[in-house]
Amino acid sequence: MNGSEGVGRRSFLRRAVAAGVGGAAAGAVGLRVAESAAEPERTAADQSPAVPFHGTHQAGILTPPQRHAAFTAFDVTARDRGELAELLGVLTERLRFLTAGGSPLPAGVGEPPSDSGMLGPVVPADRLTGTVAVGASLFDDRYGLAALRPRRLRTMDVFPDDAPEDAWCHGDLLLQLCAENPDTVLHALRDIARHTRGLMQVRWRIDGFVSPPRPGGSPRNLLGFKDGTGNPDTADSGLMDRLLWVGRGAGEPDWATGGSYQVVRLIRMLVEFWDRVSVNEQERMIGRARDTGAPLDGSAEFDPPRYTQDPKGDVIPLDSHMRLANPRTPADAASRLLRRGYNYDRGLLPNGDLDVGLVFCCFQQDLDRQFATVQKRLAGEPMTDYIKPYGGGYFFALPGVRGPADRLGGALLA
Amino acid sequence: MRPASRTSRRVLLPVAITAALAAAAAAALLPYSSAAPSAAAAADGLPHTVVEVSPGACGHGWDRPHAGRQVFDLRNTSSDAAEVYLTDASSGALLGEVEGLAPGVQRPLQVVLGRGSYVFRCLPEDADAVTGPTVRITAGPATGGPAVLPVTEHDLIPPTLEYQKWVGQGLGRLVGKADALRDAVDRGDLAAARTAWLDAHLAYSRLGAAYGAFGDLGDAVDGLADGRPGGVKDQDFTGFHRIEYGLWHHEAADRLRAPARRLADDVRKLRDRWADARMEPADLGVRAHEITEDTVTFELTGHSDYGSGSSLATARAQLDGTAEVLDRLRPLLEPRDPELPGIDRWLARTRDDLDALRHDGTWPAPGDLQVEQRERVDADFGGLVERLAGVAAVCDVRRTS
Ligand code: HEM
Repeated sequence: MNGSEGVGRRSFLRRAVAAGVGGAAAGAVGLRVAESAAEPERTAADQSPAVPFHGTHQAGILTPPQRHAAFTAFDVTARDRGELAELLGVLTERLRFLTAGGSPLPAGVGEPPSDSGMLGPVVPADRLTGTVAVGASLFDDRYGLAALRPRRLRTMDVFPDDAPEDAWCHGDLLLQLCAENPDTVLHALRDIARHTRGLMQVRWRIDGFVSPPRPGGSPRNLLGFKDGTGNPDTADSGLMDRLLWVGRGAGEPDWATGGSYQVVRLIRMLVEFWDRVSVNEQERMIGRARDTGAPLDGSAEFDPPRYTQDPKGDVIPLDSHMRLANPRTPADAASRLLRRGYNYDRGLLPNGDLDVGLVFCCFQQDLDRQFATVQKRLAGEPMTDYIKPYGGGYFFALPGVRGPADRLGGALLA
Repeated sequence: MRPASRTSRRVLLPVAITAALAAAAAAALLPYSSAAPSAAAAADGLPHTVVEVSPGACGHGWDRPHAGRQVFDLRNTSSDAAEVYLTDASSGALLGEVEGLAPGVQRPLQVVLGRGSYVFRCLPEDADAVTGPTVRITAGPATGGPAVLPVTEHDLIPPTLEYQKWVGQGLGRLVGKADALRDAVDRGDLAAARTAWLDAHLAYSRLGAAYGAFGDLGDAVDGLADGRPGGVKDQDFTGFHRIEYGLWHHEAADRLRAPARRLADDVRKLRDRWADARMEPADLGVRAHEITEDTVTFELTGHSDYGSGSSLATARAQLDGTAEVLDRLRPLLEPRDPELPGIDRWLARTRDDLDALRHDGTWPAPGDLQVEQRERVDADFGGLVERLAGVAAVCDVRRTS
């Protein structure tokens, strides 16, 4: 067999892939030409374009949310720093290909096929993004990274309303995969797991979806309310620099520049209970109208709430979720964060109720100044009776991969 | 019960096509088979070349050779199904193959070619191989890839015989161990029976009885209760796991006497039958891969644990079984599988990590491992099994004539 180069070979060589070959799948031709011509051709227009993989920041953070996602936390089983570097290299290579799409290179006769075939012979990009974040446990004594831990990164706090389940918490590494179709997400996860099997193991995984706008505006969560309205404007790069990205000279290790703290919270929703509550009460818990998403003192979704004119909370209760989360005083501006959550549906609870909820996910520059501050303000809010946080973790989304020669965590392991 | 043997990976397509039909199909093809690289770009964006597969025109149509990634559309214009190999003419290494290409059918073969000389070989069912013209590529990248020297049945016979002998010796020793288990149960000494059970079961597991390698007798000896209407209480549930269930669920000795005797008898039969049987050479490479697939599916999940909690001990014995197969195949793999050092490394790593979990001669059940321990074992076997998959592919039997 030609082309041997030790450990990395599987990922980089025999299972290497060439990106950029677009277009439809080649069907069997010849005698079957009529048959294959009858099949609708998948043209470029049907395929969602690729989200660029390279950049200062990773994709999947400012990227407008794709319809489907899988959040998978892994524990790294790499033996040493060299294997950790190998792992991050393989992750980079796989994501570079999967997010661009294209047709996988032939594996030859000495290997099983290089691709699962789930998406047909030409892998569509489908706006796939793969965002890699690291947990505090990666900075223990295994890889000699203790001194490089982002300053705020730690095991996820337990807040007063939490009921953490160990099997659903934490992890050395979080992979957030998002794409427009669930098969694209699963294909990517399957591919990455295959290429990294010896070096990391899945700790927990949850899939989620974003609903289409109903009927317009922000998509709704499973409580029936529009979710995401109050998010900061991701097109405002100055604002993103202040709220999202770790910058130089902020007390964080240099390698972390361009990264962002990522918090994931798995929050079960007791939707049966919620559905037995009057819409008025629901709206007073959230602070917004259910149908329109408008603040209770406004008429359209994006009308700003005017808390100064309602100091006692007669219209928008002081303990409503929205008002607690962001009281909108100048002093609170620095605690704003970017939410990028997904609804989930995992079947049933032991009592027969639906096991559904929110994969709450947010990005921020400073875990304490932003997420933890907001979460503390929310402690004991009326909505807590209807939700139960039980999983997730604190992670740090690595800086972006700057080009073909760079890789995830390049600066961390430099 | 473990799945039936993946006996042959080379079963030809079950094409029932009459000679007349086939001839008609072949005739219908002729007008199109003046093959040349198709002018229009194919839907996959790759250059395509239509190549003929037939005794008289094997490899014809490849008139404008070029390096790089490309697709050959192999068109069987004969009236018999055929295999097609694309080989590197100087080394004999195989770049691609299509099996069971039915008459009148065209199928794509995607390869990457570098500079060098290449040749198509057409191997019709029940007829001699035909070698096509040698094609030279003089420009472009030096290497294409991946290519592997084919393994023939002839290559596999000596290691298979050796392996068969080794298994035969193991079965011989197993007879004594199964007898010891039977005797302990007969005496009503259940503590001794549990020890004898483990000893015998590990000896059996070491023989790598993956994927129904021992047929019906293998199921009788080591089958699971899966698929039995009565589950573990099913009358027909017999063998190691039936006895395991009883020994670790407070069953009285007299209820285990019949299964223990039956096991001792079945093991004897297995030994005798094995001595007369001939192991398929094509199975050896598959075995090297699938013993570990079995470990992952049945042992690491605890699925095959009927109470003894010995899954990791079994896994460890199966690892030894894989090492035995690999050692027999080593001379064939060394020039062919660049992954071999990686396989050895992952075998050792898996073995060391399992051994580190053993205390006072026993392993904890997978479910009792701490998360980190469990992840490490899963990762080890995962890394190993991914690498072993190539062994089966490399050792797939290829025809020479
Ligand atoms: C299942 C749990 C949750 C539900 C159902 C929920 C629902 C909502 C809804 C309906 C809104 C109003 C629309 C919008 O601005 O997006 C909102 C706003 C918000 N939520 Fe949540 N939320 C949940 C958990 C959280 C958590 C854990 C945090 C952070 C610790 C959080 C922080 C915020 C923030 C910052 C806003 C925007 C407030 C504003 O700027 O006006 N939410 N949430």
